[in-house]
Amino acid sequence: MTGSVKVAPTARNDRRDHLVGVATNQVTILIGVMVILVGIFSLLEPKFFSVPTANNILTDWGSVALIAVGQTFVIISGGIDLSVGAIVGLSGVVAAWTMANGLGLDQTVKGADAAPGLVVGALVAVGVGLGVGLVNAFLINVLKIVPFIATLATMGACLGFSVIISSGAPIGSANDFSLISAMDPKANPFSWTVLGVIIVIAIAGLFLHKSRFGLYTYAIGSNSFAASAAGINVKRHLTMVYALSGALAGLAGMFVYIRLGAGSPSSGTGRELDAIAAVVIGGASLMGGIGRIWGTILGALILFTVQSGLIMIGVAPDWKKVVVAVLIAAAVSAQVLQNRNGRK
Amino acid sequence: MKNSHRLIGAVGAFAALALVATGCSAASGDSTGGSAADEEITIAFVMGAESDPFFQAMKVGAEEEAAAQGVTLVWQGDPSNYSAETQIPIVDAVLANQPTALVLIPTDPVALQASVDKAVAAGVVVANVDTRVDDLSDVLTFITGDNNDGGSKAADALAAKIGYEDGGSYEVVVGLTSPTATTNVGRLDGFTAQVEAKYPGISIVDVAYSESNPEKAATNVNNWLTKFPGLDGIFAIDGTNGSGAAAALEAKGLDGTIGLVGYDAYPDNVAKIKSGIFTALIAQDPAAEARLAIKSIVEFIREGKTSTKAEVVIPNVVLDETTSADDLSKYTYVAN
Repeated sequence: MTGSVKVAPTARNDRRDHLVGVATNQVTILIGVMVILVGIFSLLEPKFFSVPTANNILTDWGSVALIAVGQTFVIISGGIDLSVGAIVGLSGVVAAWTMANGLGLDQTVKGADAAPGLVVGALVAVGVGLGVGLVNAFLINVLKIVPFIATLATMGACLGFSVIISSGAPIGSANDFSLISAMDPKANPFSWTVLGVIIVIAIAGLFLHKSRFGLYTYAIGSNSFAASAAGINVKRHLTMVYALSGALAGLAGMFVYIRLGAGSPSSGTGRELDAIAAVVIGGASLMGGIGRIWGTILGALILFTVQSGLIMIGVAPDWKKVVVAVLIAAAVSAQVLQNRNGRK
Repeated sequence: MKNSHRLIGAVGAFAALALVATGCSAASGDSTGGSAADEEITIAFVMGAESDPFFQAMKVGAEEEAAAQGVTLVWQGDPSNYSAETQIPIVDAVLANQPTALVLIPTDPVALQASVDKAVAAGVVVANVDTRVDDLSDVLTFITGDNNDGGSKAADALAAKIGYEDGGSYEVVVGLTSPTATTNVGRLDGFTAQVEAKYPGISIVDVAYSESNPEKAATNVNNWLTKFPGLDGIFAIDGTNGSGAAAALEAKGLDGTIGLVGYDAYPDNVAKIKSGIFTALIAQDPAAEARLAIKSIVEFIREGKTSTKAEVVIPNVVLDETTSADDLSKYTYVAN
């Protein structure tokens, strides 16, 4: 199922083969790529190697990491969820609308005063994401629409609704910007929101790799007929997978809300592609059945290290797309090579 | 195999649904066409992207004027993509219903030329608003905000905020949406020209693109703040960049310290003038642009008048802390 499992049984006790296995492991490669990128950017712009830069990268990483983790479940199950970027926008807008119009909080409510509003906003945002995820599952399970088209349709609907609700403009409401700032700009690049994201991802990771839920997800992605024959309720499981992806996207919408102090309909634009890129760079296969949370987390981190680094060294942002394209191509070809070696 | 058939079927069904939806919402005028004075006038208005408050404000102006003139307005455009690819089929669908006139906000000066030519050949009166096609010879009038002038006013506002003095040295950055958006280019040109002419001590140290995503705009500002610790000011070239920049400054506790001049009067950004986060906002008057376009067309069709000039430039307004509350609410982009 995963790269590390594919070591041939006869090599299990062979120390050298084990080391080779670790060295060619997707996570090891990604950490290597990360170190090289940080090295190059720091050489070209010494200010890159700093706590503020780490904070910038982690802040960018937060929202996309959340949706990429949801996307990892979906992709391992053999599907795809294109609606997550639009859910980020819609959930942020609905949360902001509720806080501004339902609770009557405007943008002058700041700091600790904003806490109750933000909690309500977060619940609303996750609820919206969960709802859209369930709609995706309905389209896929009941109407038998392939995930690509089903989630493309909900993506359009979410974009439409967020524009209808907001008239296209960001809706500002209460916020506590200290939640998104570095805890200590000189020594600690983590913020409370990023810490929250890490906790959520850790739980999701345990869920995928240590629970029956995760096992079923891999089984369905590897062969859904076999999984069904083995007694797994495939439809019910896929419903939970898409609901999880939607709920995490809703949470990402709240993360972006806290970052901007406003719900903006365009705040998730193109994020589904960032998330898919992170998952693929992380070593998951779009054919399903293969992928790891660690890979996705590092994949997303690499994406934003590249983005931040290119801005810091003053390279035109268009190059980011080229670099990401190269990374995706390299990740996919590494996967093909690993599969070939595994079959020997 | 079965899956691929289902995919093709679903794509087909989706496309058909989309076409029907576009057709239905566009079909409201009668199909007699022509441009005689006594006939009912139907004006098709195809804008850039519904999700932009700029066009929402424009819609208000267009609807008011259409009602005042007693003409039918068909408002169309892509929900969120400002692109020629999505706009061309919309223009085609709208023209299939033979409107009397077409107000078009071309998303690309070259790509939409053929659509304008096609409309003119079918006897449809065409006006351009905000942006234009390359060849305006068959276009009744082109009404736009002055992006160059807006950029130049932004430079003045930013220089005032950072306390510009001759001999001083100042660093500013510009947040753009994309390298090709014509409005961005005009504003940046105006800003750069004014800085070079009047404020030689100001250097524009970097530009970056938000791709219409406020979170990416915030990312750009975060990185700038790390790279240029002595940064004096930011020119956020549109509403999205303004939202992202304002949030990034607030999160770092630098609001009010670093000058921030934005563009477009989004309600949320206008509120941030009072709290000192925005030094100033350059506001356009999209409703006035739409009103004038419709008025010119109706006068031309009913009375043969061509009193409106071939090119009309509606001036920008600078909103800052000295602007009266009345003016602030007057120029804020509102939706109906």
